[in-house]
Amino acid sequence: MDKTLRKPLTYILFVLPALILFIAFFIYPIMDAIYYSFTSWNGISKNVKFIGIENYTTVMSDGEFWSSVKNNGYFILFSLFIQVPIIIIFSLLISNVKRLRGLYKTAVFMPSVMSTAVIGILWGFIYEPDIGLFNQILSVFGVEKIYWLSDKSWAMISILITNAWQWTGFYIVMVLAAILSIPKELDEAAMIDGATGVQRAIRITVPLIMPIISVVIMLSIAGAMKAADIVLVMTKGGPAGATDVMATFMLRNSITSFKYGFGNSIAVLIFVFTLVITALYQFLVARRVERIEY
Amino acid sequence: MKKSLVMMLTLLFVATSLLAACGNSSSGNSGDTAAGNNSKPAEEKKVEPFELTLRHTQLGEAKKNRFAILEDAVKATEAEVDGLTIKLDGVDSEVNRKEKLRGEMAQGNPPDIFDAFGSPDVGVYAKEGLVLDITSILEELGIKERFGTSLDPWTVDGKVYGTPIGGSIEGYFYNKEYFEQKGLKVPTTIAELEQLAEKIKADGKIPFAQASKDAWVPLMTTNNLWAYTAGSDFTYGFKKGETKWNDPKMVEALAKHQEWIQKGYYKKGELGLAYGDQRNQIINGEAIMMFDGSWANSVFLDPAQSGDMVGKIGFFLMPPFNAGDGYSIMQDSNNGYSFSAKVADDPQKLAAVKSFIKNLYSEEMQIRGLKEDGLLPAMQIPTEKMNEAVTNDLMKEIIGTLADVKYKWPAFDALVQADVNTELSKEIQKMIGGEATPQEVLDKVQAVQEKANASE
Repeated sequence: MDKTLRKPLTYILFVLPALILFIAFFIYPIMDAIYYSFTSWNGISKNVKFIGIENYTTVMSDGEFWSSVKNNGYFILFSLFIQVPIIIIFSLLISNVKRLRGLYKTAVFMPSVMSTAVIGILWGFIYEPDIGLFNQILSVFGVEKIYWLSDKSWAMISILITNAWQWTGFYIVMVLAAILSIPKELDEAAMIDGATGVQRAIRITVPLIMPIISVVIMLSIAGAMKAADIVLVMTKGGPAGATDVMATFMLRNSITSFKYGFGNSIAVLIFVFTLVITALYQFLVARRVERIEY
Repeated sequence: MKKSLVMMLTLLFVATSLLAACGNSSSGNSGDTAAGNNSKPAEEKKVEPFELTLRHTQLGEAKKNRFAILEDAVKATEAEVDGLTIKLDGVDSEVNRKEKLRGEMAQGNPPDIFDAFGSPDVGVYAKEGLVLDITSILEELGIKERFGTSLDPWTVDGKVYGTPIGGSIEGYFYNKEYFEQKGLKVPTTIAELEQLAEKIKADGKIPFAQASKDAWVPLMTTNNLWAYTAGSDFTYGFKKGETKWNDPKMVEALAKHQEWIQKGYYKKGELGLAYGDQRNQIINGEAIMMFDGSWANSVFLDPAQSGDMVGKIGFFLMPPFNAGDGYSIMQDSNNGYSFSAKVADDPQKLAAVKSFIKNLYSEEMQIRGLKEDGLLPAMQIPTEKMNEAVTNDLMKEIIGTLADVKYKWPAFDALVQADVNTELSKEIQKMIGGEATPQEVLDKVQAVQEKANASE
């Protein structure tokens, strides 16, 4: 037996580079953000004034912050109840396609490799009130012009649809890989027993891919909590803050105003909220579907 | 034995890679060009060579003319100051403003000369003692007075901390061809402007192109309106607590803007339209007038962007409420150059900075900016000289309007705290969206103003 592998020092040396990077780029920034969140600091000054929890009380008592939290909530709900079912349905459909499966996979995956800026412009045309695709179609049915991105009652749903369009394909490919890894025998046995396609999908395929669906949900929640780019590109948080999410609220109310202490308190809150929601999901739901045995 | 050797080699490789990644990467990645002829004969070099870093944002095709002017000023400075090499460091404007420069300021180590925005940025840096007070340099060069109100955004407690590259004014670009066809005349009062808007609306066109996704766009109109109702100096008083946002005169201005929105003078759904859309409304003939900065002239001179509209666009200032009251306009001068406070510790660098200011802020350079870049001078230049410099009609019209101007003032965002701007930006969109009255908007902004004033 090699003695080198028995020495703890060897393991420490191997772990050290990753540990240093982890501390430098994850632990340290978090600690730094927590520290500055208790200060009044303009991001420049050497005079960092400790103000206790004032930043937190200010942000927690701001109705617009809670409105942005609510918008993050819409992102999560839209993911869970609209996007995830669509992902599952499309994955099941594509997995049963005999020809051109690669083409379908590529087509649905394409939006996720496109830049958010491009997607924002693309969907800006689709939502254009006068010549946009949606209003053109709706006008055929006599529906009046909808101001998708200017009307606060439509702006948020417009962003949610665009965001879902961008990421659905990415998750479909993940779920599809899980479906295709299920042993064929299970499906064939059910077929011999007279199960219909829908029955096989609901009773066999979906239960077997629950772990990957769970991962998709987790990623969707995490993505929803840190959403910012799509909002900035499409509405910049407008009209009048109606589509602000926590991250855009932070940018608008702190970074551009030299209020880094205040900004850090919002960043810490985003981190805490995300941690709590994902932890809750992990403990209450995900752990139950972790193991699947064929 | 073999295993341990492989392991040690792997460890060595990882450690080497890590060290290489952490190493100095300054060589060859800056893309800088040390402009100018630095190859002076050895015998002429009597002083110690030294370097000055200049952070600029003149990148890309659109800014090539402005960059050429900067390069010439740099060359002239290098020729004038013995031993000097100016290292140009080009960075995207937004990256420089929001990230790089702020990081350098936090470290207390900004470039010697850097592109900056007067207010609120330089004001914040100046209060931390990071920016060079150039008041005495400007006075020594005899150019301080020539900047007029252009230095306001760069002035903190009477001291000047930077100089604007150029200036711009705001007014209405309009479809001259349409005006001629319909027998319309350039208005001389707000009432006449409203009559024009009514006629245009009755003709099925949009009177004013406006895209309010970015709040600063509609706020150009609002700001000009309150300069008329409350006075051109009124905005200066907000920060000092001498004037209030919810003053009846301010409410009157916002109410007028709201009235225009309610009368349908703007395109419906403007809150979702990006800045470029308002230009498109003019170019495609959908709208007839557009309130915008003089910088937009380049769009209407470019056939690639304006097509058939080139040569058909005119310009007039927002007229006063009463004829004869005199025109009151915003003259922006918030972007320019500032200097590191550390320069003051080095006599050579200080001399170089002085020379740079002298070479960049000359009448010749200001006229070149106008001629080559369509940028109005930040310094006061006689109208005749400006007219001689420009060849296109639109720019001549813009310059021509300056003769009628009685009051000039900086945009409100150069005079108030960033928090106040953020609040007003949000609230004006609410007013446009019909969610807030002018009084509600201004009450909220005043509350933020008082809070911002108290924290200073």
